[in-house]
Parts: sequence; structure tokens; C-alpha cells
Amino acid sequence: MNLLLIFIGSVLINNFVLHYFLGICPFLGVSKKIKAAFSMGVAVTFVLVLTAVASWAINHWILIPYDLQYLQIVAFILVIASLVQFVEMFVRKTSPPLYQAMGIYLPLITVNCAIMGLALLASLKEYDFAETVVFGVGAGAGFTLAIVLMAAIREQLELADVPEAFKGAGIALVVAGIMALAFLGFSGMIK
Amino acid sequence: MSLSTRLAVVLTMVGLISAALLVGVNLATRDRIAANKQKEIDEAITKVVPGSRVSEKIYEEKGFTLYAGKDEGEKLLGYAISAATGGFQDQILFIVGTNAELTRLNSLYILDQKETPGLGAKITDRNAFLRFWEGKDIRQRLMLRKPPVGMDELGPTEINTITGATVSSESVLAGVNGALEKTKRLKREGKLPVKE
Amino acid sequence: MAQRTMWRDFAKGLWAENPVSRQLLGMCSTLAITNAVINGLAMGLAVGFVLICSSGLISLIRKLIPSQVRIASYIVIIAAFVTIADRFMAAFFPPLSKALGPYVPLIVVNCIILGRAEAFASKNPLGRSLIDALGMSAGYILALVVLSSIRELLGNGTLLGRKVLGAGFEPWTIMLLPPGAFLTLGLLIGAAYQIERRVRRRRAR
Repeated sequence: MNLLLIFIGSVLINNFVLHYFLGICPFLGVSKKIKAAFSMGVAVTFVLVLTAVASWAINHWILIPYDLQYLQIVAFILVIASLVQFVEMFVRKTSPPLYQAMGIYLPLITVNCAIMGLALLASLKEYDFAETVVFGVGAGAGFTLAIVLMAAIREQLELADVPEAFKGAGIALVVAGIMALAFLGFSGMIK
Repeated sequence: MSLSTRLAVVLTMVGLISAALLVGVNLATRDRIAANKQKEIDEAITKVVPGSRVSEKIYEEKGFTLYAGKDEGEKLLGYAISAATGGFQDQILFIVGTNAELTRLNSLYILDQKETPGLGAKITDRNAFLRFWEGKDIRQRLMLRKPPVGMDELGPTEINTITGATVSSESVLAGVNGALEKTKRLKREGKLPVKE
Repeated sequence: MAQRTMWRDFAKGLWAENPVSRQLLGMCSTLAITNAVINGLAMGLAVGFVLICSSGLISLIRKLIPSQVRIASYIVIIAAFVTIADRFMAAFFPPLSKALGPYVPLIVVNCIILGRAEAFASKNPLGRSLIDALGMSAGYILALVVLSSIRELLGNGTLLGRKVLGAGFEPWTIMLLPPGAFLTLGLLIGAAYQIERRVRRRRAR
């Protein structure tokens, strides 16, 4: 039950993009077309879940037992960078069509705040293994939801008359603000 | 030196130097950080168990820590319970102090919260919320009074709800009731190893 | 070094290549902690520290690092400086450290820092790299202070914790919450572009 609450919490109430402000770069950069946005969302979710597992393992098998918490930032970012490298190599070798669809986003994901943010937040909240994994899945689902919604709106915006100065990032952020406002309505859903 | 050896050497050097730097920083700041944390807890315990000079952690689990507040003579003055509860936005961390017999609530303080500023965040405000908790009878469960009334009209187990912040108020109530219940249960089971 | 090049290296970070309003980098931290001016300042200084130190070090050793491992090396160096900043804050400024939370460690994935290392520090001598880093930091702090001033003023009626707008002002709480962050930044970026266009049009005449 607790796991379900964590999942719903990450998707709706504490959405990684609209509440924690994580993953903004891809959120703004890759959200012009729904298809691309969805691929990015899937790629990010995949890396998030792997990172959840890896960061929990590093934390609980190495950092905490040996009192090395101050190395957490270095350890996490190295693990994430390596993970993304391996995933990219793996996808390129095993499934070229899949690589075509989402492989190009993978290098960007290393500096995606959402990945590092997930590792840090799960550690801060002291989640156990199952909770961390569910948190990762929820974070990815929430990110995908936000980026696909944004892409849908932006596809419509292409046809609208946006003031020159606001085209691109300006209007995207304003739209994100309204989305965040809407998502605020989910607060208090879980007591 | 072949290329791969050079790559390996460079990476190792960078890693070693960074590691050395970090170990140094850790040694320089570790004690300070631990002291800061301890100071925060000690100050909170002194606030909720007035007169306590020594605090002893007697029970800890995730989201619940029980301290005993004693004076210099090691006499038990009361308990301080630090616990977490789910609020409107995120977790609320609070500390509540009781007397030694667990019959009276001394006071309540909110240690950490991310509620709505100006509304739910009023739970940290003494005038708007916290003063209604002082001196309450905790032999039974505490309750919220809605709509809020004057201080003298509140019953011995009643606390005023904050207007516009019902959920945050109820979260704190549930958290405090739960923490007190747990403490009483620990006492019944004889798990509180403190001489009175 | 020519005075003009030095000034230009520094000043571009303030407006023409401002990391927030122009390059659109480092937005995660920008949005998350700009609900109070003191937080914006603290974060800006932390990022500045990491940026200047890492750009400096990377520029110093740029000829020693083969290109294949440069990203990995840069990441380790940046992560080390971020840890230093994080620990320093936790030790000497606990309330600020608590307010900024996990966003200080997140500086390690702040694109500004890796971006500057890649684009400038790895290809330029120490002096120029330091000035570039200083300029970018100044621009970043400027953006954060502007953003957080607006949010704190409208959302709380205060600036740096001091009441500025008088008792009659009913705070726009939404400014302190995520929607306010997005909207303010979006409007600011729009405004910055608009000013840029006006300036360019006037220059063209």
C-alpha cells in the first residue's frame, strides 16, 4: 500500500518536473513533438529505474557501512555516467531500431537533473530497496506524463500566434507554470 | 606509453587527487556537521522538556525517536518525542514534550515542513497553532476544534484548527496522537529503560 | 592581455551569453530555490565557487588530459568541488544548507559548469578561463537575485526577510510555489529577449 502511495505521489503530487523542478532541460528541449517526447520519457524512465537500483546498492553496501557518505555525490554521478554509457552501447548493439528511436537522447540523460535528483532524494528520504525502485518508476512515469502533456500543448501552440519574444523557452515556461498550477490541485490527495 | 595506459593513468590520478581532496574536506567538516545536528536536537529537547540538562535517546525507528529529558541529578523530567507525519505537501517533522508520567503535553514544535506558505505553514506559528497544545491532557486522544474558539473555551484535549489549513492541522494531530500512542505502548511493554 | 578582451570575456556572462536567460542552463536550481533572495544568493555563490574552481583547475591541466577521458575527468573534478561546497555549507551555514536541500549536490549536473569546462576552460589559458568563469557566475547570480527578488517580494512582501510592502499587502502565495517559479522565469526570459530585439533593431539603424 505504501508503495502505491509513493508511486502516485511521484506521478501526481510531487511530480518530478512540476514540483521538484528536475529534468527541465529535456522537458523544454525535447517537448516539441509528442512522439519524441514519449521516447525521451521512456528512455529517462529506463535510466531512472536502473539508477534507483544502483544508487541504493552503492549507498547501502558501500557508503553507509564504511562511513563514506561524503563521497556520495562523486559516487552517484560516476555510476550514472557509466550506466548511461553501458545502456547506450547495449541498445546500439542489440537493437538498432530501438537505438534509432531513443538512443540519441541517452547522452543527454547523464546531465539530466532528474537522474541525480532521484538518487539524492531516495537517499534523503531513507527509502528501502522496494521503495526506491517504485520511486524511480513513479518519477519516470511522472516525467513522461509531464513531457508528453507539454508536447501536446506545444504542438497546438505551433499554430497559435505567440509574441516573437516569447517563442521557444518563454512560452514553454509559462505553459509549464499553468501545468504546475493544475497539478497543485493534487496536493493533499494522500493523507 | 600506449594510449590506453595513458588514459588509465590520467583517470586514476584525477580520481586519487580528488579523493584526497575530499577526505581532507570530510575531516575538516565532519565534526562540525555532527555538532550542528546534535545542537539542533538538544535545543529542541530543552524547549519541550523544560529544565532538562541531559537528554538520552531511548528508542529509535524510522520516523520516530524517543528521548528522555533529565536534570543534572539524572532524575527523569519528561519525554521528548521526535516524529514524522505525512502532511499536505510533504513530510512534517515535529517534536513534542511530555511530563514524566505521560499525562500532560508540555509543548509542540515543528522542526521541518513544506506546507503551503501562509496557510498550512501556519502550523509553525505559536500564536496561530502551537500555543493551543500547551498543557493539554494526553491521557486520551487529542482532538481538533473546528471552527476555532477562544483559548478559555477549549477543552483539556482540544486544539484549534487553523482556518484554511485543515489538512495540515489534521496531519499534525494524527502525527502527535500516533507518537503519543506509540510511547505509551512502549511504556506498557516495559521497553522504556529509564528509572523514574 | 588586452583590456578589451578581458572585459568582453567577463561581460558576456552578464547579458549576451547569460547562462539563465540566454543559454537556458542550470534551470533546475534556478527554479527550485529562488523563493527567497537569501537562498538565491547562497546558491549563486555556491555555483560560482564550483564554476571558478573547476574551470581554473581544468584549464590548468587541460593539456594533460587526453580527449577520450576528458568528460569523465571533468565530472570527477566538478563533483569534488560540489562536495566541498556542500560540506562547507552544512558545517558553517546549517539553516541555509537545510533551505537549499538536495539542490546543492545537484550543482554537479548543472549544465553551466560542465558546459563552460567543455566550451572554454578546456581550450583556453588559465587567466581567460577564470575571467570567463567569473563572468558566468556573475550573470548567474544576477539572474537568481532578480528572479528571487520578484518571487519573495510578491509572494511574501519581504526582501531578504525584511518586510518591504507594508501590512496592507496580501501576499501572492503562488509566487512561492512551483507555478510562480515557472511563470516568473518564463516572463523574465520573454522580457530579456524583447529587450535584446529592441537593442538590436536600434543598432541596425
